[in-house]
Amino acid sequence: MTTSYQTIGQPVSRAEGPDKVTGAALYTADLNLPGLLAGKCLRSPYPHARIKSIDASAARRLPGVRAVLTGQDIPENLVGRMLRDFPMLAKDVVRFVGQKVAAVAADDLDIAQHALNLIEVDYEELPAVFDPVEALEAYAPVLHPNFMKYAGRADDPQEHPNAMARATWGIGNVAEGFAQADYIFEHTFRTPHQHQGYIEPHAVIAQVDGQGRLQMWVNCKTPFLLRRQLSEGIGLPQDRIRINPINIGGDFGGKGSFMDSHVAYWLSKATGRPVRMVMNYIEELMAANPRHPAVMTFKTGVKRDGTITARHARLIFDSGAYGAFRPQKGITYGIGAIGPYRMEHSQIDSYLVYTNKVPCGNMRAPGAPQSTFASECQIDLIARELGMDPYQFRLHNLVRDGEESPLGHHWRNFMGKPTLDAAVREAGYQAPKMTPPDLAADGGDWKVGRGIAVCERHVGAGSSTAKISVDGQGQVTLYTPLQDTGAGFYTMLRQVVSEELGVPYNEVSLVPWSTDDARFDSGVGGSRVTHVGGQAVYGAARAVRAKLAALAADLYGWPESQVVFKESMVAAAGHQAVSLGALAARSGGLVEGDFTYDSERDEDLTCFTAQVAEVAVDRETGQVKVLNFTTAQDVGTVLNPQAHQGQIDGGVMQGLGYALLEELKHEDGRISTLTFGEYKMPTIADIPPLRTVLVQSQSGGPSPYGGKAIGEQPISAVAPAIANAVLDAVGASVTQLPITAERVLQALRSQPA
Amino acid sequence: MKKPLQITVNGEIRQFFAEPYCSLLDALRDELLLTGTKKGCDEGDCGACTVLLNGQAVTSCLVLAHSAHDSQVTTVEGLADHQKLHPVQQAFVDHGGLQCGFCTPGLIMSAVGLLQENPNPTEEEVRFAIGGNLCRCTGYNKVVEAILAAAQAMQNKLKA
Ligand code: FES
Ligand code: FES
Repeated sequence: MTTSYQTIGQPVSRAEGPDKVTGAALYTADLNLPGLLAGKCLRSPYPHARIKSIDASAARRLPGVRAVLTGQDIPENLVGRMLRDFPMLAKDVVRFVGQKVAAVAADDLDIAQHALNLIEVDYEELPAVFDPVEALEAYAPVLHPNFMKYAGRADDPQEHPNAMARATWGIGNVAEGFAQADYIFEHTFRTPHQHQGYIEPHAVIAQVDGQGRLQMWVNCKTPFLLRRQLSEGIGLPQDRIRINPINIGGDFGGKGSFMDSHVAYWLSKATGRPVRMVMNYIEELMAANPRHPAVMTFKTGVKRDGTITARHARLIFDSGAYGAFRPQKGITYGIGAIGPYRMEHSQIDSYLVYTNKVPCGNMRAPGAPQSTFASECQIDLIARELGMDPYQFRLHNLVRDGEESPLGHHWRNFMGKPTLDAAVREAGYQAPKMTPPDLAADGGDWKVGRGIAVCERHVGAGSSTAKISVDGQGQVTLYTPLQDTGAGFYTMLRQVVSEELGVPYNEVSLVPWSTDDARFDSGVGGSRVTHVGGQAVYGAARAVRAKLAALAADLYGWPESQVVFKESMVAAAGHQAVSLGALAARSGGLVEGDFTYDSERDEDLTCFTAQVAEVAVDRETGQVKVLNFTTAQDVGTVLNPQAHQGQIDGGVMQGLGYALLEELKHEDGRISTLTFGEYKMPTIADIPPLRTVLVQSQSGGPSPYGGKAIGEQPISAVAPAIANAVLDAVGASVTQLPITAERVLQALRSQPA
Repeated sequence: MKKPLQITVNGEIRQFFAEPYCSLLDALRDELLLTGTKKGCDEGDCGACTVLLNGQAVTSCLVLAHSAHDSQVTTVEGLADHQKLHPVQQAFVDHGGLQCGFCTPGLIMSAVGLLQENPNPTEEEVRFAIGGNLCRCTGYNKVVEAILAAAQAMQNKLKA
């Protein structure tokens, strides 16, 4: 599919790479400004408490302290990405351990820290609730009595005062479907908080400039949305706020929230100096915006031959103390919960619930790793009960191209079966299982098992703008409002320009825009950039190309439709070619083109992923070792194979962490895993051999040249594939993540003998 | 109170003042304005702050600046020869060993430290050498590929 392109489809290396390997690339915390102050926040030690009084006088007197702010000193405006329920600094009540109650700006960080220790807060503890299921009970404390007054809340009626949002999706009538079933299965699954784990913590610099404008540098991948949230909180009109471009040291969904941005502004305003706030990693693990934990009950009816008749999922997502870090109105989590299986009756009831824990936000494929774990684990439990191989059971029920999805969509060119088959083939799913000799030799009682899981996910949509200019020297410059999170699109977008204008991709200069320079951009995330950013750049490139072709037609009498762009030259058959620069010079200045691309999500298009884990489990200790992991991914045109594979490798790695290691542990609302020593993310020692098969979809996707999406696809099926492999190896069903040795042992012990 | 010290950083003698409790990482970033070395966890767990101290890869957040007095420190800024990238840097670019780039200076310094001691490492040895570097983007495979390719390139250059 990609053979007719010059640079599209080539595994070209990163144009932005040299800056990142020399230390030249600047990230927010690297910036320095004259008079820069250090900002830091005092955080609540209680999960739910009334603030009776705050005495900051000693802190204010400390030499080197330039400002101390509490909730009393700033407006009471609530802020949020959509639902506005979050006070910039808590004033009357704190609702989680780590909530900000005061802020200090000082000459350096040591002084700021010292000042925080001098602030005395008198709290009165209130009853708290930590379990999202309990939070929906009648006796649970109501965490937000004023919820109905909050801006940005969903319009649907609230079932319980702690349920901030609820949604139901489905087709048919599940009661009818269950009546047709020979067997009905019900299981409950639980997943923990997962931190995005970007190595760069949240950081922001705010400076109120001489004209009273807010200048901000912040590692936020949605600067246009942040500008609006700032405006709502601080009261400056949006055009008085400029968010400047900066490199972002990893995102994975976590860098779209405002964190300290509002507070940094208030400190800068109070001191008249620029203020830098960098969260340390303890603050990150305690009070950033991790993936929502969930409690999920799946009820599934099947016939004796394995046909699914109905599925009902009840999903409770634990939002923590606020809903401000979610960009959507209401709840969207769990919409794909039922899996890509054929059935006439389906129902998903999804709830988002307040508890006295850290407020949650988006992480890579938000909502999907949770529900895919539950859904795909139950598929294996059912298959085994029926005496069917889980692969055969999936094949029997999997939606085929042209059929209706369980939510009533008609996916075009649906790649379910070919992708699943490819995963099974590549992984040697049906081959004999042998314990590797090194494990067999170590004396444990190791058993090998294999497990499959599948998922599907949309291609993202949204809005982006791009501008391209060509100058008289032939220098091509691309302007984009997208901020570099590291996924590789600064190279991919240059490839699009290169393809259309016939210049080497690494000679295209890329200039990131601030929020002053474009009207709007949806930002990075949601499997959006290749599609939306790609189309904006493609459109701008086509616009420049058309202008240059018209110019050539005008100047040299070439037929406009026959002008070609190749090797930095412009040519037409039978004529002497001219260089791009020479042609552009004849325009009397720059030749420029821009394009704004707006799109809605196409619900009839999806990307399918099938993954197979091979594990060894020690029956004596419960230890799980992943021996091999295979991903089969349905793709359209792959614009840059190196970056594409990087997304798969990284997504699988985060899925492995979710499956086996990662959990923010709580004790009475206090997170106890406050270092990377305790919140364990995969190191290289945790990465098994990874295999990937790309399965070409004929229809491709909405990205330029027919690309689909990859960022969020590879993560969701990893944990259930591993859980299913553990089940296959030793018959232990672990229904709660992460799959620790203790949980495997527990599951082994509770097995019927 | 800040006290004077002297460190040779990337071949240049630097004399400056730092608090007794100041880490080498903070000294590099805040006093010497060498911000290529990154601060991730500040607790010795992520490896983003890795530099060479007298040729050994160390997590600079755990080293006191004053304990590096009179030592040789190499940071990521000190590897490239004018515009020419060090072979390890070049290999990270060529093999997709980086995405967001935040862990990258630390990973590169771990790799350079390894190759100085062991110019011809096995894959196992490479994996061991970067066992203390967290990267949340790449999944590590392309990092290992890059380091092995760099070793090869450096060997070839020696032979040539
Ligand atoms: S910053 Fe030093 S190890 Fe993380
Ligand atoms: S490249 Fe982003 S953390 Fe490694």
